Amino acid sequence: MQEYINSGILETYVLGCASEEEAREVLYMKEQHPEIRSALEQLEIDMERIAEAGALLPPPGTWSKIEKQIEEISLRQPTEPAIYRERYNDNTQAPPTPPDYINVESESSHMRIHKVWRWVFAAVFVLGKIFLGFAIYYYLENRQMQEQLLELKTEMKQLKK
Amino acid sequence: MLLGYIFDVVKDEQQAEKYLIDVFNDVPTVLHEFSEHGTNAYCKLQLMAKKRLSGYFKNVEDCEDGRPRTSARPNKYTDLMTAEQQLVFCGIHYQGKNTATIAAELNTNEEGVRRLLKEAFIIIRNNRDHAGIH
Repeated sequence: MQEYINSGILETYVLGCASEEEAREVLYMKEQHPEIRSALEQLEIDMERIAEAGALLPPPGTWSKIEKQIEEISLRQPTEPAIYRERYNDNTQAPPTPPDYINVESESSHMRIHKVWRWVFAAVFVLGKIFLGFAIYYYLENRQMQEQLLELKTEMKQLKK
Repeated sequence: MLLGYIFDVVKDEQQAEKYLIDVFNDVPTVLHEFSEHGTNAYCKLQLMAKKRLSGYFKNVEDCEDGRPRTSARPNKYTDLMTAEQQLVFCGIHYQGKNTATIAAELNTNEEGVRRLLKEAFIIIRNNRDHAGIH
């Protein structure tokens, strides 16, 4: 066992450069022999130490960027962890059906709509402006007509006298 | 810690931050692996980072100018290693090389490379224990 530990295979495994076959072998040996498990744990602590020695403070805003992207991913992907999705597939059992209601209250104050609505909104805006123009034109026209009518009535009254 | 490692590989702060974000974005897809008994979270993240950096390692390999490469900054552990131990440890850790490639570079066999790697880890551990006492 000591010979296996001294062979350097555990170090290559911890550094991620062991072949697939070697990695499988190391994992098997780790399960079978507590000495190997302990040696691997020590090597992982060594890796942590060397990382601590070269640690850098992430720039401000890094975590919010990570959080934002994870949120976007979680919105796109199914919410169940992979382990449960695999279990459903293995047992050929359907996952529980989602509830028959729509969640109308959302935490976000924004909504997402299809791009085609952009043109609909633009058309509604332009038509609204045209109707407003017509309304102002006919209002002014009507006012002018009423003024003319009033003048005519006044002229007719004067003529009658 | 992970950002420091990635920076030592890519030697560029912005690029390192981008890789860091990519690695953490991969975490939700393998979240169950983190909860497995005996998993060291940092080492798992580092292996994920190496996977993400594999394309970068390949580019560096293609542009290899023959000069030995170590980490971007001085490191109290690697500084204690001999030139050969540094070539092996840094070659695998910071340049993503495998033992066969390094064996060919050093004109030795893979057993020799593993021996040097083991020695490098002994140096880290001895210094780690030494630091722990004080």
